Amino acid sequence: MKASAPIATSPIWPEAPADPPSGLARSQHKSPGETAAGRSAVTERASKARTPKRGQPDREPGLKRANFGRGAGLPTLLLLPQVLILVFFFFIPSLRALTQSVLLSDPFGTTVHFVWFDNFKALFASGEYRQSLVTTAWFTVAQNVITLAIAVVLAFATDRVVRARSVYRTLILLPYAIAPAIAGILWAFLFNPVVGPLAHMLHALGISWDPNRNPNDALWLVIMAASWKHICYDYIFLVVGLLAVPVSLMEAAAVDGAGPIRRFFLIALPMLGPTIFFLAVMNFIYGFFETFAIIDAVTHGGPAGATNILVYKVFVDGFINLDLGSSAAQSVLLMTFALICTLLQFRYFEHKVNYGV
Amino acid sequence: MKKIAFIAALFGVLASAAPAQAARVEVQWWHAMSGVLGERLGELVEKFNASQDKYTVVAVAKGNYDEVTNGVIAAYRAKRPPEMVQIAERGYMTMLLSGAVVPVQELLDQKGYKVDFSDFIKPVASFWSYKGRMSAMPFNSSTPIFWYNKDHFQKAGFDKPAATWQELETQLYAIKAKGVSECGTVLPGDFFWSLLENYSAINNQPYGTLANGFDGLGTEFVYNKTKVVSQVARLKKWLDDGVLQIAGQGFSPEQLFTSGRCSTFVNSTASHGNIERNAKINWSATFLPHESDINPPLNSTIGGGAIWVMKGHTPERYDAVAAFLDFVAQAETQVWWHGVTGYVPATNKAYALARERGYYKDHPTREIAVLQLSRGTPNDNSRGFRFGNFVQTMLAQRSEVEAVFTGQKQPQQAMDDAVKRGNEILRQFEKLNAGKGTEWAPEAK
Repeated sequence: MKASAPIATSPIWPEAPADPPSGLARSQHKSPGETAAGRSAVTERASKARTPKRGQPDREPGLKRANFGRGAGLPTLLLLPQVLILVFFFFIPSLRALTQSVLLSDPFGTTVHFVWFDNFKALFASGEYRQSLVTTAWFTVAQNVITLAIAVVLAFATDRVVRARSVYRTLILLPYAIAPAIAGILWAFLFNPVVGPLAHMLHALGISWDPNRNPNDALWLVIMAASWKHICYDYIFLVVGLLAVPVSLMEAAAVDGAGPIRRFFLIALPMLGPTIFFLAVMNFIYGFFETFAIIDAVTHGGPAGATNILVYKVFVDGFINLDLGSSAAQSVLLMTFALICTLLQFRYFEHKVNYGV
Repeated sequence: MKKIAFIAALFGVLASAAPAQAARVEVQWWHAMSGVLGERLGELVEKFNASQDKYTVVAVAKGNYDEVTNGVIAAYRAKRPPEMVQIAERGYMTMLLSGAVVPVQELLDQKGYKVDFSDFIKPVASFWSYKGRMSAMPFNSSTPIFWYNKDHFQKAGFDKPAATWQELETQLYAIKAKGVSECGTVLPGDFFWSLLENYSAINNQPYGTLANGFDGLGTEFVYNKTKVVSQVARLKKWLDDGVLQIAGQGFSPEQLFTSGRCSTFVNSTASHGNIERNAKINWSATFLPHESDINPPLNSTIGGGAIWVMKGHTPERYDAVAAFLDFVAQAETQVWWHGVTGYVPATNKAYALARERGYYKDHPTREIAVLQLSRGTPNDNSRGFRFGNFVQTMLAQRSEVEAVFTGQKQPQQAMDDAVKRGNEILRQFEKLNAGKGTEWAPEAK
């Protein structure tokens, strides 16, 4: 297994941190039967890739190369839709956010003052913003851990379900089809301290549950709702990941007397490393950016700002309070935090991941 | 279902307008009414379109008030605003100083319509006018009133809710102690509007300096030095004692009242339509309570929306807009709208007409809002509120009040913090808008 380490640190991977799915695919598409020689050839080729010799296609063993002819027309054409989407829905809005973040303007745009970094300074001086930062940290980390832990257990359990396995899988995947706002309303209702059945159960157990008056209850509620919505996403990747674990290895371990739990921790889990790493990154991105509908439906960021995570604050300040400058500054900061977070994950965790499955 | 019916009504309007489309001038009106109110608004537009053959108003539902505001801002920036838009009272200063709107009174004068603006009910007129002239057409004006469950009060041995907060407290505690209901009252979703802002007006407490902002952008909040602090403390006490309940997300406060769980409910008079339709209880309504040491109580203030006219359209389109606004201001329209929705009639003439027809004999609770709005002469504390970024300051305040409810802050501390945050927001608004609004002054013409 150690022989594959160079691949994990091959230069291709760090260059494209924002695109983990393809990285994952790359690591999984390799057939198990690939030879060690083939692997080192990959590494070699990766280092040569920048200076290919004209008219002399690579003919290294075990590698195929697609050929679209000399012209750049077709590739450009195929890339165009994606590039256009990026330009219109990412680059232009990002540029607008960057400019807006150094402006103070009324919502209709009739008066605009250039204020340098006043919007940012005001944010760092604001207690609400700092509170929001801390809340976001708790929210994303807890959501990440809970989602992954439950998804791993469910995925591993899939193997042990003998009858109606596809029903089991479908049931777990269902929440993915529910809109976040609907999921939020569902959770808010189930745990509503006045009328919610699950809240009544908690009360019957002697737990004084009231997300309207207890900030911690509210934070737990949105963490659970957000995790529930995302477990299915992690689950589907993990199930596929587990399928890639060679049956022979598991059988050999079973013959040697390892029980299912031991087999899981010593064989399956390490081999799932790349998948779990990828999912951890995706969970962070989900927690940072996609949970705002759930917050809006479950708590409106309250009580007293207890669930006011950064992305929800961006929304409220921009679209309810019409404070565009501050909202833009917040979205620039949020983007920066997400970027730093992802880079740190790659820097510190990625090299511990074993891609040699 | 309601939405479908409304869309169907809209299509009906469009279809009936289609044959004469060439001759008719079409204008858009973006609004925020949904449910029963949305259906009624559709009928109103239909009435106007059927009443003449020159103009067609197309009503477009753009979501809630915030969504309508965002929609119109985006449309204005893209230079494609609708002709008319319905904006909530809290957005008044934003619209007034936006430089994007046409003064309504000026437009109607110019087009030769004689709308008697002096006949509008005072808190309505004063809220929507600037420097003595109407800036937007009052459309759906409401005010909070006190709804109660008659049976609960009778079982507990009371005729009806008391007029003061002090006596009401005794009643609500008695209702709970006698086991009549476990929830004396429910916290309204817009408690800041009814239980803090209107509370201040009724009890003659200043909310901000410079006549609550009517005298200038330099206004500052002062409600941390008034009875608002003890009002917040009272709510906290009621919550702790289980007399007051929070409905929370996923459930509406109104349902807790109409289902018979909570004995009382402070809410807008505009919920008449819903409550009449949904309540299975023996309900009634009365005036909002006042403090025992404030007598007589002053008028309450309005909430709801007005129709703003956007800049950037052709004179023919403004002909259509003016005709429609004139139609909205007519007493007949007002009485009809008042009857089907529960919003107050905006003019004294419309109110007199409703009285004359004996409308309040059958619907006594519909008159409460009008009487409560028009009692006495409004003073600086009860004329209304003129704060910039009023949505933002309100959300900051709501968050601080929640900190009292969660037990993180004492009422005084929370209100001090709310005022401090609010004043920073007001200063930002002042910085952006200093010197604006001159086009509204009559002498500038």
